[in-house]
Amino acid sequence: MISRAGTPSGAQTPPADVAPDDSRLDDTTLVVRARDGDVRAYEQLVRRYQGPMFRLAVRMLASRGDAEDVVQEVFLTAWRSLASLHEEAAFVAWLYRMITNRCLNVIRDRHTTVDVDLAQRESRSPGSRPERTVEVSEQLAAVTEALQRLTGEQRACWLLREVHGRSYEEIAQAVGVTTTAVRGRIARARAQLTEMMAPWR
Amino acid sequence: MAVNPETQGYLLPCGRDVETVWERLADVAAGRGDEHDLTCPDCRDARASLNALRDVTGELVADTTEPAPHLTGRIMSAVRAEVRRRHDMLPLPTTEPGLVRISEHAVAAVLRFAADSVAGVRARRCRVHDLRVRAADPGGGEESGPVLVVELSVAVSYQSFAWRALDLVRERVAAAAVTRIGSELHRLDLIVEDVYGA
Repeated sequence: MISRAGTPSGAQTPPADVAPDDSRLDDTTLVVRARDGDVRAYEQLVRRYQGPMFRLAVRMLASRGDAEDVVQEVFLTAWRSLASLHEEAAFVAWLYRMITNRCLNVIRDRHTTVDVDLAQRESRSPGSRPERTVEVSEQLAAVTEALQRLTGEQRACWLLREVHGRSYEEIAQAVGVTTTAVRGRIARARAQLTEMMAPWR
Repeated sequence: MAVNPETQGYLLPCGRDVETVWERLADVAAGRGDEHDLTCPDCRDARASLNALRDVTGELVADTTEPAPHLTGRIMSAVRAEVRRRHDMLPLPTTEPGLVRISEHAVAAVLRFAADSVAGVRARRCRVHDLRVRAADPGGGEESGPVLVVELSVAVSYQSFAWRALDLVRERVAAAAVTRIGSELHRLDLIVEDVYGA
């Protein structure tokens, strides 16, 4: 029992007590515990939010491998800097902001790399078909491809708003622009996506 | 392409921009379209495309693609590798020559678990100190367990919390300290810091 909290394998055997399963605890409780150094509480947060964070990253980067790397980095960074998160309830917004920033950095790095290395560009340009493991419909495949032709910031704004339902204020903070600029980027993204998916002329 | 990079919206050949057509989608669908909505072929085509985008957006929202199953493990081993091995170790009672020590984190986990077992209570922050260490007696008393001073904050259920539950928390935390850690609970400060609705 005592060793449970300290063993790396992390308490797979269910204890006899009636304590609630961590998976039913609210976010704030888990965040407070995690900040206290409770690894199991943090694992619960990881399990709860790695899905949406991964889906954002994979749509941003069109690569499962890169997306998983970003998700791993962000959850590790979040663990290290939990102490600086003063508002526990803001944990999810904080994760979205870090994922967005990290993805935009990866995209910027790719652009730097393509200037240097053309071969790399071949393997990463949108035309070379991103890894296709997520598309269940043709329309979905089309929008995934179309998304990659937007700028990183447009893509982030559109995904955060339309797919992940985040507020304009939160998106503005995540991307580092004004809410007016966010609305503009979303409008532009919407127009371009519509056009690329099914040209109206 | 009807694109004017200097304007925010994308203009259709008829002069309306895509954002306007988007904002009017619901109205037109509800039969509240104006003359232009109903007769303009550009707007009609744009509406068809926007509807297609809206449908596929719904698919993205409903998407449940998960990362590879081993990702959680990868993240957590990186996290565990960073768990601070600090000087917050408490000696446990032992009759053997070797030392047995337990981290304050581990003690906190055990005590939180005991508090969680009370209905309508969720343990949050848990600070643990050994009174004897505080009393500048760090070397002594390996044969008796630590004497714990604990500060525990909890969230209580809005629906099912009753005052008596805090007494139960006190009982169970004290029992866990004795039976599980072999320590005495000298003092427990309980703080109800939040309520949660289930």
